[in-house]
Amino acid sequence: MLKKLEQIRQEGFESISSAADMEKLEMIRKELTGKKSSLQEVLKSLGGLDPELRKSVGMKANEVKTFFAEKIKEKEEELIANASVLEGELDLTLPGIEVPQGALHPITQMCYDLNDAFRSLGFEIYSEDDISSEKFAFDNLNFAADHPARASMDTYWLEGTEDKRGNERLCLRPHLTGGSVRYLLEHGAPARFVYPGRVYRNETTDARHERAFFQYEALIVDKDVSFSSGRVMIETILEKVFGRKVNVRMREGFFPFTEPGYEIDMECLLCGGKGCKACNHAGWIEVMPGGVIHPNVLRAANLDPDEWTGFYTNIGLDRLVMMRYGVDDVRLFHSADLRFLKQFK
Amino acid sequence: MNISLRLLKKFVDLPADLSYEQIAYDLTMRTVEVEDIINTADKFHDIVVGEIKEVKAHPNADALKICIVDVGEDELKQIVCGGSNLTEGHKVCVSKPGAEVVWHGEGEPVLIKESKLRGEKSYGMICGATEVYLADIYPPHDEREIVDFTDLGVECNVGQCVAEVAGLDDVILEVDNKSLSNRPDLWGHYGIARELAAIYKLPFNELSDELPVGLPEYPVTIREPERCNRFTATKIENVSVKESPVWMKTLITNAGMRPINALVDITNYVLLAVGSPQHAYDSTHVEGDEIIVRLADDGEKLLLLDEKDLELTHDHLVICDAVKPLNLAGIKGGKDDSVLDTTDSVILECAIFTAPGIRRTTAYFNEKTDAALRYEKGIDTQRASLGVSLALRLFKEIYPECRITAFTDCYPVKTEKAVIDITQEFLDRRLGEVLPQSEIEDILIRLGYEVEFDNGTYHCKAPTWRSTGDVSIHDDILGDIARLIGYEYFKKQPLKVNFEHSVNQVKADLARKLREYLAFRCGFNEIFTYPWIDERFINAAGIDTDKSIRLATPPAPELGILRSSLIPGILETIDKNYRNFDSFSIFEAAQVFEKGEYRPSTEEEVLPVHRNLLSGAMVGKDAPVLFYSVKGVIEGLAGYCHCEPLDFVQKEKPSWADEKVWLNIRTGKKIIGSIGLISVSALSESGIKLTNAAAFEIDTEGLRPYPSRTNEFKPLPQYPLVQQDLSLLVDESMTWEQIRDAIKYMVKDLKFVEEYRGKQIPAGKKSVMLTLKIGNDDSTMTSKQIEKKMAGIIKVLSNKCKAELR
Repeated sequence: MLKKLEQIRQEGFESISSAADMEKLEMIRKELTGKKSSLQEVLKSLGGLDPELRKSVGMKANEVKTFFAEKIKEKEEELIANASVLEGELDLTLPGIEVPQGALHPITQMCYDLNDAFRSLGFEIYSEDDISSEKFAFDNLNFAADHPARASMDTYWLEGTEDKRGNERLCLRPHLTGGSVRYLLEHGAPARFVYPGRVYRNETTDARHERAFFQYEALIVDKDVSFSSGRVMIETILEKVFGRKVNVRMREGFFPFTEPGYEIDMECLLCGGKGCKACNHAGWIEVMPGGVIHPNVLRAANLDPDEWTGFYTNIGLDRLVMMRYGVDDVRLFHSADLRFLKQFK
Repeated sequence: MNISLRLLKKFVDLPADLSYEQIAYDLTMRTVEVEDIINTADKFHDIVVGEIKEVKAHPNADALKICIVDVGEDELKQIVCGGSNLTEGHKVCVSKPGAEVVWHGEGEPVLIKESKLRGEKSYGMICGATEVYLADIYPPHDEREIVDFTDLGVECNVGQCVAEVAGLDDVILEVDNKSLSNRPDLWGHYGIARELAAIYKLPFNELSDELPVGLPEYPVTIREPERCNRFTATKIENVSVKESPVWMKTLITNAGMRPINALVDITNYVLLAVGSPQHAYDSTHVEGDEIIVRLADDGEKLLLLDEKDLELTHDHLVICDAVKPLNLAGIKGGKDDSVLDTTDSVILECAIFTAPGIRRTTAYFNEKTDAALRYEKGIDTQRASLGVSLALRLFKEIYPECRITAFTDCYPVKTEKAVIDITQEFLDRRLGEVLPQSEIEDILIRLGYEVEFDNGTYHCKAPTWRSTGDVSIHDDILGDIARLIGYEYFKKQPLKVNFEHSVNQVKADLARKLREYLAFRCGFNEIFTYPWIDERFINAAGIDTDKSIRLATPPAPELGILRSSLIPGILETIDKNYRNFDSFSIFEAAQVFEKGEYRPSTEEEVLPVHRNLLSGAMVGKDAPVLFYSVKGVIEGLAGYCHCEPLDFVQKEKPSWADEKVWLNIRTGKKIIGSIGLISVSALSESGIKLTNAAAFEIDTEGLRPYPSRTNEFKPLPQYPLVQQDLSLLVDESMTWEQIRDAIKYMVKDLKFVEEYRGKQIPAGKKSVMLTLKIGNDDSTMTSKQIEKKMAGIIKVLSNKCKAELR
C-alpha cells in the first residue's frame, strides 16, 4: 500500500510538473485529488486495513494529499507568473494609437513664453485693438507731421479716412506703441505692462518681409528708472525664452517715441556669434528696438515728464521664432499651411 | 550711404593700428549702423603693373601681338594681346591667372587662365581700362587701347597691385540709411569724421567756412524764404569741361558715384565730403543774368537732366532765370541749363532748401536724388558756407586760371543754435551713475556743443548742424552722452519689485485658456490668416459686406475688405489643406471689424466696431460625426475655461451654415455664436470637393469668465449605484432632448450611447440606446426596488416618448 502511495506521489508530481497551462493543471488536480482519483481510492480502502497499517497508510495518504496541494499551488503561481493576456503574437513595433495632436501657432507659443516670463516680473498683459487712428499711431508718439511712415506707401489707411487727419484718419495699426498711451491714459503711472499683437505695414513681401507681423512690446513707467535696467530685463526675458544665457548688446538707435533710443542685438544662436548666413555674418541679430520713453509721449498720456520716465522694449516675434526654429521664410507664419504648423507641438 | 575710409582720413587722423572692423563696430554701437564692409581692392586681386620688354608679331594673326612682359616674378611672361598702343619699355596693366576681368567692359567677370591664342601661349592678359574697372579713372580713347601707365604719367612699380596705383585700395563702410534719418549732419564724410574724432578723442580737422569778399553781387531773389532759407551764387569764369584729377575721381568712385567732368565732380565731391548739395549752371544759359527762387506756375514745364519732362504745380519750388525755370530746386538740374561740353563759365549754386517741400516734391515726381536725400533730412543753413568755401578751394586747385567774378549770399533765414539746460542731477538719475563734469563737457564739446557749467546745470548750445530738429530737449543731450560713453559700459541696474498687488487678469487668462483648450485637449491647430481677405471666400461664406471696412490701398484689388467674420479665412485654409490631409481641425482667434462707433480711449477718437472672435472647423468625410464632434468641443469649453455654461438654441442661421444642421451658442440667455455644418454652396464656391466640415464661431467677449476655478466637489455616493442599459424603439421625430427631459429627474445619471437605424428597425422608427444609473441615498437598492424603478422609467418613456423596449 505504502509503495503504491509512493508511486501515486511520484506520478502525480511528474504530472503536475508537466502541466502547460491552468486548464491542464485543473484537470490534473481533479485526476490526482478528485473523488475518482487513486488517492481517494486508497483513502476509501483504509477502513479495511488493520489499525496499525491503517495509521501509517493514512498518514502517508494525507502527506501525499498535502504534497499535491502544495505542488499544485506552486505550479499555479508559476503558470500565472509566466502567463500572457494574449494567445498569439503582438507586433510591438507597430505605432501606438495616435492621440489628437493639436498645437498653438509657433508665434503664440513664443508669445505665451514671454507672457510667463514678464508676468513673473509683475507685468500686466494688455491688448490694443487692430484698428487705430493717426492720433494714437503717430501724433501721440512724437512722429513728425510729415514723417514718411504716415504715407499710404507705408501704412494701411482705411478707405474714406485716408485724407483726414489725427483722430479721424484710421489705419490698421503700423506698430504696437500707440497702445502704450491708451494703457497709460486708462491706468496712469507707475505701470509695467506688455502688449503683444499683430501689426500691419504696406510692404512688398519676400522671405524676410511681411505685411502682417507680430510684435511684443513692454513698457515700464516709474520714477527714477535708469535705461540700463532695460538690459537686465531683456537678458532675463531671453534667458527664460531660450533656456540659457543669451548675450545682448545695446547700441545707438533712433525712434521718434524714444530719447535716447537704442537697438538691442542678441548674439546669433545658430552660430554662437561667430557669423553665419542667418545673421548676415555679423554674429549679432537685431531683435528689438527700445529706448527711454520720449517726454512728448508721456505728455500725450497726461503724465509729467519731469516726474515720470520709463523705457520701451519692442520684440519682433516673427524674427525671434525664426531664430528659435531656424525658419527661413517669414511668410510661412500666415500661410495656414498645416504641413508647417503641425511641426510645432 | 557709402563711407570711404580714404575720404574720412582727410578730416580725422585715424591711427594706423585702428582696424576698419573696429571703426565699423564703434560706429554701429555709438552712431549709425554699418551694414557691410567692402574692400574695394578685392576685385583687383592678381591685376598688377607689368612692363613690356618686347613686342613681336604673332605668326598666325595680324591683329595680335606677342608681348614679353615683366610682371615682377622670377621670369618674364609671354602674353598675346590685340592692344593698339603696345609700346616696349612702357608700364601697363596685366591680369595674371586667377584675376577676374570683364570682357570689353560688359557682362559678368571672367576668370583669367593661362591659355593659347591662335597657337601661341599666353600667360594672362594686358588689359584695357573697361576690362579692369578703371574706365572712370583712366577713360580710354579707343576700343583697343590698353592702360599705359607710362603714357598716363602714373608713378608705379612692376608687380604693384593696380588698385593701389589708382587709389582704389579703399575700405567702404555701407551705412544703413534708415539709421541716418534723424542725423542730417551725418550725410557727408565730414560729419562721420567728427563722430569718430569724438569717439576716439582725436583731433578733428575743421574745414574753413570763409566766403569770398569784396566781389560784385550776382542778382538773386528768394521769393519763398520758408522753402529756401539761403541761396549763394558764385560766378566762376575761365573754366572748361575737362577730366578731374585722379585723386578726386578715385574718391568719388569709391564713395559710390561716377566721375563726369571736373565741373560736375567738384559739386559731387563737396556733396560727399560735407553733405552740402550744389549745382553748377552754364552762365551763358542764365537769361537776364539773374536768379529767382520761386514756386512754379501750375502747368509750367521743366525738362530734367535725365530727359524727364515735368509738368510742375504751384507746390513745386524752382530755380529760375529772368525767363524760365532752370532747375527743380534741391532735387535735379534742368537739361539745357546745366554744365555742357562748351561751358566756360558757371554760376555755382550752394543753397539750403527746407525739408517738407523737398519731401513732397521728391515723392510727387519720384526723384530720389542724392541732393534730395540730404535736403529732406533738414540741413542747417551754415553748412552752405562750408560747401562754398570747399568748392572754391577746389576750383582754384583744378582751374588755377579761373576767375571768381561775382558772389551773392542771399540769407533770409538762419539756423539758430538750440539752447538747452541740463542738470547734473537729471543726468545722474537717468544714467544710473555719476559721471565727472570734465567727461561730460569733453564729450559735448567734441560733438560741437558750447557748454557752460554753473551751479549744477550745464548750459548748452547745440551746434547748428544738430539744431534742425535733431537736438531740442535735455533728453537729446542725455542720449548723446550715453551713446558716446557706450551703452555697454553702464552698470546693469536691477529692476525694483513692487508688491502692491498680484497680477490678476481674468480676460487675458480666458483668451489663453480657450486657445490651449482647443489645441491641447481637442487637437486643433491654431492658424493665422490676414485681416484682408479674398472676396471669393467672403462671398462663399455668404457674408454681407454692406457694413464692412475697406482699405484705401489694399495689398491687391481683391483684398480690399477687412474681415467681419473669421469663417472666410477658415474656408480659405480648408481649401489650402484638404488635398494634403484627409481630416484636420483648425482654429483662429482674431479681431474682426464693421462700421459703427467705438471709443476705446478718448471721446474724440471714434473707431469702427471691433469684435474678438474665435472660429474653428473640423474637416473630414462624415458630416454627422463632424457636427457632433464640434458640438462636443463647444460643450466642453466652458468647463475647461472656467466660464459660465454654454447651451444651444436654433434661432438665427449663420450665413455659412447648412440649411438643416446648425445651432446657436448661448450663454445666459444671450446668443454669442453658432456651430453648424458648412453649407454645400460655401464649400463649392470655395473650391472644396468631396470633403465636409463643421465649424463654429464665438464672440469671446460674450463668454463670462469666473474669477477663479469653479470645479466643485460632490461627496461620493455612500451606497452603490446600479447601472442599467436600455434599447428603445421610438419615432424618427423623437429627439434625445425629449427622451432625456422625460426621465432625467428619475435617475442619478443618464448617458446617450448610440442611435441605430437598420434592417431590424421598422421604417419611420429608430432605435436609441442609453445607459442610466439609479440608486438610493440611504441604502443599497434591493432587486425589488430596482425592478420597480425601472418599470416606472419605462412607463414614463412609453407615455411621454411613445418608446417601446427593443
